[in-house]
Parts: sequence; C-alpha cells; structure tokens
Amino acid sequence: MMHPAEIEYMAENEIIQIVPTFNHASHVHLICGSYGPFRAGLPLNVPIWVALNLRQKKTCRILAPDWMAVDKLQERLEEEKASKFFTQLPTNFYLEITQMLLTVASEDIPQGNDIKTAVKDLWDLRIAKLRSSVDLFVKEGRVQASLNHLTPMEINSVRPIFPDTLDALMTLHEHINSSDDREDSSQSSVATPSSSTSFSLSL
Amino acid sequence: MLTIMDIDIRDLIDEEDDDNQEEMTAQKVLQIVERAWLNEKFSPEILPHQTDYVDCLLEQIKGMEGNLAKLSKTDPKVDLHKLELERIKFVITSYLRTRLKKIESFCVRVLEEEATRSEEDAYLSPAELKFAKEFALNADNHFDTILRHMPHLYNKLDRNKKIIEPNLNSFVFLKCNKHIDSVIIKNTLEGQEEEIVLEDGSQHLMPYSSIAEFVKKGTVQLI
Repeated sequence: MMHPAEIEYMAENEIIQIVPTFNHASHVHLICGSYGPFRAGLPLNVPIWVALNLRQKKTCRILAPDWMAVDKLQERLEEEKASKFFTQLPTNFYLEITQMLLTVASEDIPQGNDIKTAVKDLWDLRIAKLRSSVDLFVKEGRVQASLNHLTPMEINSVRPIFPDTLDALMTLHEHINSSDDREDSSQSSVATPSSSTSFSLSL
Repeated sequence: MLTIMDIDIRDLIDEEDDDNQEEMTAQKVLQIVERAWLNEKFSPEILPHQTDYVDCLLEQIKGMEGNLAKLSKTDPKVDLHKLELERIKFVITSYLRTRLKKIESFCVRVLEEEATRSEEDAYLSPAELKFAKEFALNADNHFDTILRHMPHLYNKLDRNKKIIEPNLNSFVFLKCNKHIDSVIIKNTLEGQEEEIVLEDGSQHLMPYSSIAEFVKKGTVQLI
C-alpha cells in the first residue's frame, strides 16, 4: 500500500524556514514554485526537501517550526489527553518532520531529545486512541467512521490490517446471508492488486 | 535575464491556452499528478487516466534536463533542480506502475469495461490499452499451451472463471474536498442503507463503492 518513505515524501513538500549562509540574488524557479532570494543571515521559506539538501551541504541553518518546542508539544499533549476525539495538529506530518529535522539538523534545534520524547508521547497517545476506536468500530459492526484530524502516518499504521479486516468481515457476512440460496455459487474471485505486507513503525 | 523556468512555464501556459483550458502552472500540474498518484494507490479499481498531465510534466522534465546541461556545475541551483526532477520522476513512475499492476491483476475485467467506453471517457491511455491487450493475449496463449498437455478432461478453461475483479466494496480512507450533501453507504451487516453528509475537509473511512464517483470527479481525495 503506502510505504512510510512515501509519506515522508509528502511531508518533505511542507514549507519550513531556513537561514542561508550564502548569497544568491535570483529566485530558484522550481516546478513546485519559486523560492528566494537567498541572502546570508536572512530567513526565507522553502520546502523541507530543499532545506534538508542545503543543510546537508552545510549552506543553511534550519529554523524549527513554531510547534516544534517542548512547551508547545506539552500543551498539545494535554489537549489530546483531555479530548475524546483526535485534536487538530499544526501539521499533518509532525512525526516525520521531527524525525527528518532531528536526523539532519539536530544542532539547529534546541532541546532535540526532549522534543523527540514529547512527539513520541503524542504519537503513542494518538495511536492508543486509534487502536481503541478501531476495536470499537469492528465490534459494533459499523460501515462508516469519521476520522477527522488523523494524519497520513497514523492512518498508515492501521493499514492494511484494519481495512482488510473489515473487507473480510463484509465478505463473510455476504456469504452467510447468501448461504440459503447456495446453489448459485458462480461468483468470480475478488482480489486486491497488491499482496499486502505489514510493517512496524518506530521513531 | 530570463531564467530557465520562466520560459518553460510560459510555453506551458501557451500550450494549455491553445487547448482552451484554464491557465495552468507547472506547480498546479504537479499537484494534480501527486493527487492522482495517491488516489490510484488507494483505489481498488483503475481510475481514469491523467495522461495529459503526466505528459505535460514529462515535457517539463525533458526541457529542464536540457537546460541544466547548459548550466555550470558549480551553480547552487543545479543540485536543487536535479533533486526536484528525481522527486517528480519518482511520483510519475510510482503512479504508472500502480496502474500497470492493476491492469495485470484485473486484465480481463478492465478490457471488458474499457470496451464499453467511448474514446473521450476512456480509463486507459492508448499505451496502457495496447499493453492490456498484449498482456491478455499472452496470458491466453500461455494457458492454451499448458492446457494442451493436460488430460483431455481438464484441458478446457472456462473464460469466466479466469476473471479476477477488484473488490469495489473494500474500505478506503478519504478526505472530502467539498461539501457533499448525500452519500449512500450500504451496510452489508444489517442489510440496510445509511445516508450521511460529508463536510468540507472531513476525513472518513467507508466502502470505496459509496464514493467512487466523487473520487473520479475530484471532490474526494483518497488518503
């Protein structure tokens, strides 16, 4: 289905602030938009993949996004604990962005380790919530659920097992319902194109 | 001095204008292809092709690669442009490969359905259609060759038994881009139908068949 690296790809399109250490007067006209001018010491917005590339070449410093601070994350954590539903986060890719920035630019981000712990706590809390709602959903035999504010990586953590389980349940029920008129068993087989593989996530 | 991308984008816009389409930037085209990639990845069936947009991006890439060859290697821009091209190529190949996989899995069914559609609302691109037909032919030949060596009793194959269909009722995650008044969901468990409203920006889990038409219209994005 979706590889975590592909979600990371989407996360890399998010915009972030950097402070370049070089001067480049003209804009860089990328297909995804124009960015610049690059002036040493002056912050500007670029996609994360650009920021990471420049940072790896040591030609910029990355400014941590506003939400990526221990106190802000603690607030989020409290809010998440208090809410029955999933709260709206400042970005859809909090786990991936934290992971990427702390891997490439840990020196640019103060209190990196504490941030990592706080983000992991937030993730764990939300995943626990997700697991219990999945459980409830399957037991109640529902066919529709609202999943507002759930991020792609969180959704991916229950895929493919969750939708596949539901598919299997539905198929079983159809068979039970149609078992009375069993003779017309000329059903063609049903399959998904990908052989599903599962994976585990770790921070 | 005009930079390389200015020229490319202008060419692109002119081309689109000629076709009486709304003004398109390369950025917009890229977003459309990225969205099509996700939809294709998560939808159980093959979706209408987006060849126009893919070809447009491929043209961009080609033009860009030509321009990059002329630039000096020390220019800081070069690396970024190259990296971006690699990223875009990744999405395009992943998108096309996902489609090919579906064509291979559901070959007979895809061809049957395609035969009922006119050229304008074809789901397969001409190249994909050619591939599908050749694939079906090769598979048939292959089965015939094997069956010839089977005992007389077993050397017939019912064509209908070979058909593998996508499970259109499989569950998908989706995000709604526009308010939708009514979506009907069949509840197999209780043998009932439920009707719900999808709010703009809301996310849901439900059977694909309920929202298939909205995915094709672009009002719903699979996630």
